[in-house]
Amino acid sequence: MNRLNSILKKPNSKVLLMGNEAIARGFIEAGGGFAAAYPGTPSTEIVETLAEVASYLGIHVEWSVNEKVALESAYGASISNVRALAAMKHVGLNVAADALASIAYTGVRAGLVIVSAEDPSMWSSQNEQDNRYYGMLAYVPVIDPSDPQEAKDLTKLAFELSEKLSHPILMLPTTRVSHTRSNVILGNITPPRTKGSFIKENNRFGLVPANSRNLRDKLINKWSIIKDSFEEFEPYNRIENKEKDKIAIISSGSSYQYAREVNEEVGNYRLIKISTPYPLPKKFILKGLEDVKKVLVVEELEPVVENQLKEIINEEGLSVKVDGKSYVGYAGEMTLERARKAIREFLGLPINQTAYKKLDIKLPLRPPSFCPGCPHRGTFYALKRAVNSLMLKPIYSGDIGCYSLGINSPYDEQDIILEMGGSIGVANGLAHVSENQVPIAIIGDSTFYHAGIPGLINAVYNKSPILVLVLDNRTTAMTGEQPDPSSGITATGEETKIIDIAKVAEGIGIEKVIVFDPFNIKESTNMLKEALSYVVKERKPAVAIAKKACALNAVRIANKIHIEIPIYQVLENKCTACGICYNAFACPAIFVKDDKKAWIEPSLCTGCGVCAETCPYDAIKPIKVIDKRWDSVWQ
Amino acid sequence: MAMKSKLNIVISGVGGQGIVTLARIIGEAAVKNDVKVLIAETHGLSQRGGSVEVHVRLGNVYAPLVPKGEADVLLSMELIETARNIDYLNTNGLVISSDVILRPPIPGVKIPKKDEIIKEFEKNNIRYYLVPTKELAEKIGNYQSENMILLGSLYKYSEINKFIDMDSIKDSIKTMRNPEINLKAFELGSNL
Repeated sequence: MNRLNSILKKPNSKVLLMGNEAIARGFIEAGGGFAAAYPGTPSTEIVETLAEVASYLGIHVEWSVNEKVALESAYGASISNVRALAAMKHVGLNVAADALASIAYTGVRAGLVIVSAEDPSMWSSQNEQDNRYYGMLAYVPVIDPSDPQEAKDLTKLAFELSEKLSHPILMLPTTRVSHTRSNVILGNITPPRTKGSFIKENNRFGLVPANSRNLRDKLINKWSIIKDSFEEFEPYNRIENKEKDKIAIISSGSSYQYAREVNEEVGNYRLIKISTPYPLPKKFILKGLEDVKKVLVVEELEPVVENQLKEIINEEGLSVKVDGKSYVGYAGEMTLERARKAIREFLGLPINQTAYKKLDIKLPLRPPSFCPGCPHRGTFYALKRAVNSLMLKPIYSGDIGCYSLGINSPYDEQDIILEMGGSIGVANGLAHVSENQVPIAIIGDSTFYHAGIPGLINAVYNKSPILVLVLDNRTTAMTGEQPDPSSGITATGEETKIIDIAKVAEGIGIEKVIVFDPFNIKESTNMLKEALSYVVKERKPAVAIAKKACALNAVRIANKIHIEIPIYQVLENKCTACGICYNAFACPAIFVKDDKKAWIEPSLCTGCGVCAETCPYDAIKPIKVIDKRWDSVWQ
Repeated sequence: MAMKSKLNIVISGVGGQGIVTLARIIGEAAVKNDVKVLIAETHGLSQRGGSVEVHVRLGNVYAPLVPKGEADVLLSMELIETARNIDYLNTNGLVISSDVILRPPIPGVKIPKKDEIIKEFEKNNIRYYLVPTKELAEKIGNYQSENMILLGSLYKYSEINKFIDMDSIKDSIKTMRNPEINLKAFELGSNL
């Protein structure tokens, strides 16, 4: 059960690992010495797992401030001869793309593996871009494992290959690899190399145009060597049921597991399994296509393998019909239904609709919501009151984090959500063109450090009248409370400086900075009114910071130091069934009884007490006397 | 009778109810029995009190997700979520569900009553076991052990016992925090 135990178990142990833990183990087996990441679903557990074992192994593991810094840092370690990994979610690679596109020019020294976890179906992302295209754009080979065992094995192999080729490798697991737990057999651990030295070679590492032109030519030549190195990639590239001719299925990444299961159902056609979608190994593919007349490519998202396959067939003048997206489709992740339909249609087999039951009953939706005790609830509640009482027309320019959930009723305070840090830049544009509307950028602490600061500097420099509301809950909450520069601790639990957001804002030149406690609704509302009035009157940016710990962290600390959570209750005789606490404040710990009066579920209440403030009838009270130390756990 | 070659379980509930842990215990036990297991989770937004599904597949399986209409068992920590996920069940599938209903925190939301849901199960000839997980958890003094009570019921009522032996499950539970209470909960659920 204990992650630490499984991840460090002896070679040949059979363990249950999540794909991301398997990648972490692969890094350990490869003797990696440096790992950096910015948290992002579905990639977070890679570096989270490594952080837990960092001091034991003596390796450096960090949460970087963003993906660009994570990749640059890993590159710095690699060119100093320490094997390094940078991990991120797929959209994180957009942030790191500037570094990626040039790293291929210089190449690397010790192995450098960039893991970008893809999220087809957008289970927790704003888009489902296919990062295999980044491989093409940047001349970086792409590996996509199909299950946790391969995720581990291929991570190790990627380090060896990267080092052999002096070239970065991009590894792209999807949600169904990263977040699938399965049986994994462990391999040998290589003792990590954690220290190295940078040997100067400035015609290689200094990308001034004269050097870059030279390196560009070298890169094109190197690419053919890289291509060849993917030709021998057994068993991760392999031809199954080779004795079967005429028809073949090609599948890459997690789609392979679906294709394989369906292939067994329909009678085991030739199945070409690919783990190297870019560059697609030509000789291997041609071997797979011997005596084949038609091929179906089963892959998620864009036709990356399909288009390369068509190119190979075209170049060789073969008469093989290639299909893919016309049967499989583009959007969303692979499912057995989808693979079955595509493969059966391609083979001309009938599609049997699986019978399933459906109840004739109307069910309420259950979207995710702010946790009981979440300080964001108080912030959004107070912000709405402030905006209403000033009779402003707000534009809520939102951002990526738990507070994105403010898009839902009853808050409705996220009008725009684009990408990390986007809230401030977008508000800047809104401010300069909108009339009578007040742009309010809403951003969390981790996102502020990640990509919010340049936007804020821009707002000061270009005199943008916006309110920037920073929801500082002292952690990267959405991905599971990873520490950030507001937390005072590093990924491995060491104490470090807190980077004070108010001081950052003041240093940039914001003249109006307020810090409020979102558990105090009245004070919060008044302070937000003051900041908003300033923006409207002075036509300058202001920063408001809601400072309160993430409820999950607060409760965890309380339990650890044995502080009893002061559970609240509704006084039956005072409650008038007005519904403010469960409809307007909408805490998931507050339920409605048949008589419409409120009732607080003790197992869910976290004792924040904000509902008591919102109750106009003074009907919500703590059950017991509150521990004196209670406030301290929320700091 | 030939042993079934695979078992598809869909586990549903509400974020925070311990569903991921429940699935992980099954997974650990499967590995101990050298049985292939795939557990597909979706993290991120679903942790924040939203609907959660975890797919568990055992035996001769490759793809991590269970298709609609192919789950042998729908195991659920909350009754509205049970109703929502009924379409995963195969025609002979079995529901093992907590009888707990949790109101989604949406203004003015209307929720079905327990009886209405049960009536629908019967109308559709669905085989079901309702487990009073909350009541039982209160009895052993720990409302965070509802998931282990439900796991006990899964072991008792479903064919999972043909893939995994009980000792392996108990060994996995022993590695949890509060092993005594969780073992007690598992035993309570398997002796209903």
